[in-house]
Amino acid sequence: MEVIKRDGSREDVKIEKILHAVNRACRGIEGVESLEIAKRTINGLHQGSTTQELDELSISNAVLLTADEPNYSKVAARMLAEGIRKEVGRDFAFRDYVQNAAEFGLLHESVLTLANQDLRAIEYAIHHERDDLFEYFGLKTLADRYLLRSPKTRKIIERPQWLFMRVALGLSETIQEAIDFYDMISQFFYMPATPTLFNSGTRHPQMSSCYLLTVGEDSLEGIYKSITDCAKLSKFSGGIGIDWTPVRASGSLIRGTNGLSNGIIPFLKVFDSSVHAVNQGGKRKGAAAIYLEPWHADIESFLELRNNTGSEERRTHNLNLALWIPDLFMKRVEVDGTWSLFSPTDAPELLNSFGEEFEHHYEALEKEGKYLKQVPARTLYGRMMQTLAETGNAWICFKDQANRRSAQTAKKGNVIHSSNLCTEILEVTSGRETAVCNLGSLNLVSFVTPAGTFDFKKLAVSVEKAVTFLDRVIDINFYPTSESKASNHKWRPIGLGIMGLQDTFFKLRLPFTSKKAQELSAQISETIYYHAVQTSTKLAQSKGSFPAFNDSRYAQAELQVQLAQKSQEALPELHFDWNALAHQVQSQGIRNSLMIAIAPTATIASIVGSFESIEPQISNFFKRETLSGEFLQVNKYLISDLKRLGLWTSGMRSKIISNDGSIQDIEEIPTELKELYKTVWEISQKDLIEMAAARSTFICQSQSLNLFLESPTIGKLSSMYMYAWKQGVKTTYYLRSRAKTAIKKTTVEAVAQSEAIACSLENPESCESCQ
Amino acid sequence: MILSSNLDLTLRPMKYPQFFQLYKNSLKNIWTTDEIDFSVDFEHLRDRLTPQEAHLIRRLVAFFATADNLVAHNLVLNFYKHVNSPEYRMFLGKQLFDEMLHVETYLLLVDSYIPDQDERQAAFDAYQNIPSIKQKADFCFKYMDSINDLDVLDTNDKKRQFIENLICFAACVEGLFFFGSFAYVYFLRNKGLLPGLATATNWVFRDETLHIEGAMAALGVMRKEYPEVFDAALEARTKEMIEEAIQVEMHFCQDALNFGVSGLSPQLMREYLEYVADQRLTQLGFSKAYLSKNPFSFMVLQDLQPLTNFFEKRVTEYQKGFENSRGSVVFNDDF
Repeated sequence: MEVIKRDGSREDVKIEKILHAVNRACRGIEGVESLEIAKRTINGLHQGSTTQELDELSISNAVLLTADEPNYSKVAARMLAEGIRKEVGRDFAFRDYVQNAAEFGLLHESVLTLANQDLRAIEYAIHHERDDLFEYFGLKTLADRYLLRSPKTRKIIERPQWLFMRVALGLSETIQEAIDFYDMISQFFYMPATPTLFNSGTRHPQMSSCYLLTVGEDSLEGIYKSITDCAKLSKFSGGIGIDWTPVRASGSLIRGTNGLSNGIIPFLKVFDSSVHAVNQGGKRKGAAAIYLEPWHADIESFLELRNNTGSEERRTHNLNLALWIPDLFMKRVEVDGTWSLFSPTDAPELLNSFGEEFEHHYEALEKEGKYLKQVPARTLYGRMMQTLAETGNAWICFKDQANRRSAQTAKKGNVIHSSNLCTEILEVTSGRETAVCNLGSLNLVSFVTPAGTFDFKKLAVSVEKAVTFLDRVIDINFYPTSESKASNHKWRPIGLGIMGLQDTFFKLRLPFTSKKAQELSAQISETIYYHAVQTSTKLAQSKGSFPAFNDSRYAQAELQVQLAQKSQEALPELHFDWNALAHQVQSQGIRNSLMIAIAPTATIASIVGSFESIEPQISNFFKRETLSGEFLQVNKYLISDLKRLGLWTSGMRSKIISNDGSIQDIEEIPTELKELYKTVWEISQKDLIEMAAARSTFICQSQSLNLFLESPTIGKLSSMYMYAWKQGVKTTYYLRSRAKTAIKKTTVEAVAQSEAIACSLENPESCESCQ
Repeated sequence: MILSSNLDLTLRPMKYPQFFQLYKNSLKNIWTTDEIDFSVDFEHLRDRLTPQEAHLIRRLVAFFATADNLVAHNLVLNFYKHVNSPEYRMFLGKQLFDEMLHVETYLLLVDSYIPDQDERQAAFDAYQNIPSIKQKADFCFKYMDSINDLDVLDTNDKKRQFIENLICFAACVEGLFFFGSFAYVYFLRNKGLLPGLATATNWVFRDETLHIEGAMAALGVMRKEYPEVFDAALEARTKEMIEEAIQVEMHFCQDALNFGVSGLSPQLMREYLEYVADQRLTQLGFSKAYLSKNPFSFMVLQDLQPLTNFFEKRVTEYQKGFENSRGSVVFNDDF
């Protein structure tokens, strides 16, 4: 059989040649067999395959073998890295890349100037062997969407280590600084968020992840300006959170025409289409979350926006829904009271107030009979729960807790109107201010020492660097609108987060909700917050505080810990002198109004090969669906334990798959492992909420807190969200549940159908049809 | 008895609650074509597919476009007529809805995937003018036409004829033809291609597996009630039928892979079909005929729980059939 080479010539397929390439990729990796990959590759070839197809086939065969042995993922990653190197030009050096990228006009002027100061030092600092840290999925993600490509041929022109160096140079003032930062990200201690990876060092350095807006003015101009702004922000990779509460409700008067308004839904339909049309630089799809306070009279239609049935005119399939819930609503739910719905045109006082002030206005308006409609609070709450169960949407966020616990809301009139697309950012917005946040996350597992301890000192050093570079983004950033620039310079917020909490627990062998894990989780968050505040205060000494410092709670010596103490909640154990720090901040100032936000990290966690954010694992065996394809994800920690015990066989694999990635019902597995390797479906969400609440004492913005229920009911959901509110959680994110009738397993043994159906009359409990 | 001719409309007490349960399960999967985002597919069709892959795709959508219609047709004319269980008819009602949804999906696909007007028309007429697809249709018609004249299943022979029709559609059409075609789609999906088609296929796949499960459950009941029909002769007949189906599908495979697609070869496809066929035989309570292993490791992915990054793809793992009536607002449920 013949293959066609890159230059078009033909060559006989040589098994030794394939084997040689695969061998090289397997070198030093345990438990993998090159022959196994090579054999499959040869089987898949046909007359006239290209050598590139051959390489791809070897990679995909290695990837598929990860179902048996996770280390094949490293083999596949190496082969992919080699493929990238071929595509870039095998003998290219960093200097060639810079020249190349510059000729295409891809790099920022300042990066060229800085790099050209000492190309040799940079060349020397680059470690291509760090490509070995990648799992296949991470590198594939990087290759498909992050590495720079030639605008003409669409071929990759950037190797992974060059990307990290480009990102570092884009945020640095000196070569040494860049090398320092490069070392931190290329070793996966810390990873900037996607927009920074995409855009740092490039011609359009838009590095912010999120934008928060409110529809500033209830008029056609105001509405369409917001839609246009969102399109601009989205184009350069930002996610959108936008508050629609100020727009008048259906049935209220339009003065200009003396007609009645159709409310927010028709405009949301327009917004939906606009969001869909904007593709983030061809790299990922635009996305937005729309926020509404539940006193808005269009709330009921709002909750139906993602339904599958009903008029398409009133459905928005691309928008995420979020609710901005005041305490008063939860109180009314609790006492089974009545809830009044207003048009903001009749109740403008409600728009710019929170807490007691809001409650005072609300009750007064109610007495004056200004509402359009009244409903039982529990009925509306039940509807919210139903929307959550059916769509995972209508994220529950608590407006008053978000505002009370923010450094930005000390001055009357400064109000947080919404969170962002992922519910971890809480910043003040208004018609003139579009809030912005740049994010990055520490990869916690990289701070676990080989001795099995957690290295808090190393963590502190990384926090300091991360904060310094996140702050830098604010000045270098490209702002798509003037409102975003104004706000970001005024408040200078940043969002430092974490990922790999689950890996950390696995490595330290702590079950997710064990007491030790709870304590460690809180201590990690405390350490990060403490050093972030300290670093930001240090930055303020040389560069000054953020301009709105005097309007902030820092001026009153209040940090998160003090704010938490004020509401007299049980705090986690404290390891630092917080009062001393608060007074230091009060007297010396602070560079950033906000510092901590725990993002979902979906993509960057994949890049570094860690579990996402603060989340427990979803499953020991699952697939990831992304724009690059479907990827098998196995829990390598579990498999390594099973191997040690001699339990890792294909039969065991089938059992885990049949159990949807759970090991709880597999007899042979020891109890200790069952405890450690629980999936999120097997963890009490109450524990998860309590952990989040403990952590929130050290989070000045918020955390993307997903909640998981296998089979949600209105009863479970209403109890869960009530508990989250009482625990003082600021925001929650998706409600995740599982598809009811999953696809039948095709790769595990079938059984005769008459045996499979073990119904029913004998065992009425298990069968709802009999009741 | 499940094949008796006196129309049974009585739902309480339930004689076949397992069918009602299947119906309830099927209600939990409801989707619409509006939820599928084909925008990335169009980009791929424009500039990422090789000519070989493009040919494969055109064959696949052409096959799908008519196949579901055929299945629906048989459902109404035969299943609905002869399976005498009101519970099962409820399940069939939902299945019919599913089939229409699939027809709509593939209608949309052919309309948007095949830009050339003549070629598009040819795809819609595939069962008449694309030989490899016509052969599949002919295979179905053979088992449909054979029972056209059956009104009452009053002899074992007639029962056997009907059961063969049922086996043909469950084990061969939905169980083999569709499964073969799904594998091509997943192969492409594994290469990161055509996510919209893959999503649609995931949903169709989910429905089809439930349909197969339903038909197999009905056959399970028939085996219990009429053991004399499920004799060695039926087993032999079934195996012949399945082998014929594999050959028909392999003919399609030769055509679909006409120009060679790396990673997929006719040998591997044959092995895969044999592996699936053995599973069908096991489900029917017969012995395996091929003892082949699954050569497509990428199919393992179809057995796993998906996790979607919503920045990249719409999350679809929610419970569409969630009922409002289940519970009311309380604050002390465990969660």
